[in-house]
Amino acid sequence: MKKKNNILKIENLSVTYGPIKALRKANLEVNEGEVVALIGANGAGKTSLLKAILNIEKPNGKILFLGKDIISKSTDNIVASGICLIPEGHVIFSSMTVFENLQLGAYHNSYDFDKNLEKVFAYFPILQERSSQIAGTLSGGEQQMLSIGRGLMSNPKLIMIDEPSLGLAPKIVADIFEILSELNEEGYTILLAEQNAKKALECAHRGYVLETGRFILQGTSRELMNNQKARRVYLGGSV
Amino acid sequence: MEVFLAQLINGLALGSIYVLLVTGFNLMILVARIIQFAYPQFVVLSMYACWEVLRLTNNVFLAVFACISTSIVLNILSEPIFRRITNMKGIDINASFVASLGIAIVITDIMSHSLNYGFPIAFPTSWVEGSLARFGLIMISKGQLYALAGSIIAVLLFFYLLYRTKQGRLFRAIAENRFAARLIGIPIVKTSIFSYFIAGLLGGFIAILLSLLLGSASPWLGEFVALKILAVSIVAGLGNLRGGLVCGLCLGVTEAMAMGYLSGSWSNVVSFVIMLIIILIKPQGLFGTSIS
Amino acid sequence: MPTVLSYFLGFTAIYILMCWAIYLPYRVGQLYFTTVACMAIVAYFSGFAAREWGWPFIFVLLVGIAIGAIIAYILSHAIGKAPCFTVVIVGLAFIFIVKTVIENWELLGGTVGFFGIPPVNNLLLIAYILLGIVGFVIYQIDHSRLGRAASVVFVDRDAAASLGVNIKSLGMFYQTIAGAIGGMAGVLYTFLLGSLSPEFFAFAMVGSLVCMLFVGGYTTMWGVIVSAPILGGIPILLPVTISSWRQVIYGILLVLIILVRPEGLITKRMLWNLKGKNRYKTASNLVNTRREKVG
Ligand SMILES: Nc1ncnc2c1ncn2[C@@H]1O[C@H](COP(=O)(O)OP(=O)(O)OP(=O)(O)O)[C@@H](O)[C@H]1O
Ligand SMILES: [Mg+2]
Repeated sequence: MKKKNNILKIENLSVTYGPIKALRKANLEVNEGEVVALIGANGAGKTSLLKAILNIEKPNGKILFLGKDIISKSTDNIVASGICLIPEGHVIFSSMTVFENLQLGAYHNSYDFDKNLEKVFAYFPILQERSSQIAGTLSGGEQQMLSIGRGLMSNPKLIMIDEPSLGLAPKIVADIFEILSELNEEGYTILLAEQNAKKALECAHRGYVLETGRFILQGTSRELMNNQKARRVYLGGSV
Repeated sequence: MEVFLAQLINGLALGSIYVLLVTGFNLMILVARIIQFAYPQFVVLSMYACWEVLRLTNNVFLAVFACISTSIVLNILSEPIFRRITNMKGIDINASFVASLGIAIVITDIMSHSLNYGFPIAFPTSWVEGSLARFGLIMISKGQLYALAGSIIAVLLFFYLLYRTKQGRLFRAIAENRFAARLIGIPIVKTSIFSYFIAGLLGGFIAILLSLLLGSASPWLGEFVALKILAVSIVAGLGNLRGGLVCGLCLGVTEAMAMGYLSGSWSNVVSFVIMLIIILIKPQGLFGTSIS
Repeated sequence: MPTVLSYFLGFTAIYILMCWAIYLPYRVGQLYFTTVACMAIVAYFSGFAAREWGWPFIFVLLVGIAIGAIIAYILSHAIGKAPCFTVVIVGLAFIFIVKTVIENWELLGGTVGFFGIPPVNNLLLIAYILLGIVGFVIYQIDHSRLGRAASVVFVDRDAAASLGVNIKSLGMFYQTIAGAIGGMAGVLYTFLLGSLSPEFFAFAMVGSLVCMLFVGGYTTMWGVIVSAPILGGIPILLPVTISSWRQVIYGILLVLIILVRPEGLITKRMLWNLKGKNRYKTASNLVNTRREKVG
């Protein structure tokens, strides 16, 4: 197999909230063109890891993005360099219109605004239809699409997406994972945090299993799906 | 009837200045997450700067420049203080109020000790006087006209900035959801500093209009205006820009009417009693607040 | 006893009382300045009652405390659980209204002031006995279930509400006590000075009290005991040329303390350490431990 380029490499990353150690010395790698799944139960530390990468929570350790250490950079610099985080639970600007939300997403990438907008509307035609609607009045699924669309507007080199399935109907969840796969075929690199391990691993090439702040397992999706322990704990043994 | 009309014009002129003050105050609440109680003090101090330069050079352009730049400098200088406070863990917006109270006290006391020996300042007559139009007993003064026209222009420009420009979109994004704004890579500190700049620019402009309208200022003006502005913004709902527009105008008109029909010292009480009653009935404000 | 010293002692007691009156409602996150208005009303009432009606001191004192408490209690129905800045502006507006009424009421001497209030024997002794009693009561409140509930409300109102704390009645309770203390301070002030002027109950007074409370430390009742004599009392001993700048010093100190030591000089953490209990509770796990206790 041809050795792929490292986009993101994390070494010995720790995140603490006062006395709580949310992440302990985690190591992780994401290669170009990959979908990597981050699996863990509630409170395992998935969100903490993603926030630490953007320096929203102050981490300790080493984060290399495209070979450069970004650990001490500010959030806006990191986003400008090409990482976007689509947060859990539909974080949108609900009093603004859908279009304004997308404009805000393009803050660091306004020169090919039209091209990106076209792309987002191609993935999510509903957003084009509703572009002058107030975002807070969108349905939950549409809000999640808007959240993803807003992330895409910055034309990121790495998309990090946190629990896209949270609170959505199975049909919509399936749609969203479908779109994630499409995005990956387009060439986007995706780091996906999910509790729904089965769905996530179906979509991903490789996966990491996180338990109370530690990676306990890692491997290709197939390995993880066949791993006894992973199956017992995270896949309900039904795969 | 003539008293009524005259006071209505006066009230609208005064009210439009309150509108500008509340707008600047609300901008600080929304974008910088602080209660800037000293904001009106900065305005009054800028009026002093304007007066001083006018006195020394008798040059209107220099005076206007001094006024606006004083206001901008004061607001920008206060930014690191408030940033430090808002960044502290476990400290809430109350701390910014208390700190700005401290700043307000210092400014008032310095004005009442040292500036113009503590006496109220009066702008030269060439700056303020002159009536533009007269209908019977009703006279529209230059100051009233400038205040009204200036405020309308300033409010329009401000709302244009807020709703039609990229910078304004960033302000609204930060005001609505700080976390999401940070997440999509909006530089919070830079944008916030820019909001201090805008508040300062607006404050300088208010100082000019206020000096045209009142023709004088005293060390205690800032304190008094600060009280009114905080009251108006709470009656409207903290951080509610549109509510501020309505309530600021209402305050101006109410005050002017009270001035027209009641003796001097009682006229100020009327508006405070009304505001107090509204606040007691609706503690969250008439138009709702965006601050929890 | 030289009068300057008795003024120093008397004003120190009054300032401590007033700071406590602001400290108490701030336990639930409300900056309650209405107590200054209560103080002004009761001060004028007691001056009038003593001079015109010849009421004895003890009677004036009891009625004064009751008036303060009743005003605060009535207002607290509206602002018992109001957000901090609503409470702030109600207080400031109320002070302004009361001050204007006094200034325009000839019966009360208007802007000139109200004079000729009969002196009381052993006023300082009485003041410090009252201070001791109030301090004891506040200590008891702070170490009761109410005090612990207030700590939760201060950190997180929603969490407190979800734990079944009745925020409104808690706020009403603290505000009423603050009003009563304001009334007490008003009576003491009247008899200490023997004359009244509306100037005293102005915005500057609010600034001074906030400064003493925040510099001393708002997390415990002990902070103001240190700061009130220094910040409120010492200016009385200094010559006017220096003491007339006290407001500037207050303002600068206030900004500095918030920047450098936002909880004030004396903090709960410090007292815990002094007592040798090193398991100081941070705000967030305070909520968690309360959750176990209250819930
Ligand atoms: N701001 C915070 N302050 C204190 N503790 C926090 C904070 N944020 C997260 N934690 C703690 O850190 C741990 C990891 O949380 P995190 O949100 O990363 O989990 P997660 O894997 O994303 O869980 P979920 O699937 O429920 O979203 C949890 O124990 C959580 O309580
Ligand atoms: Mg999570």
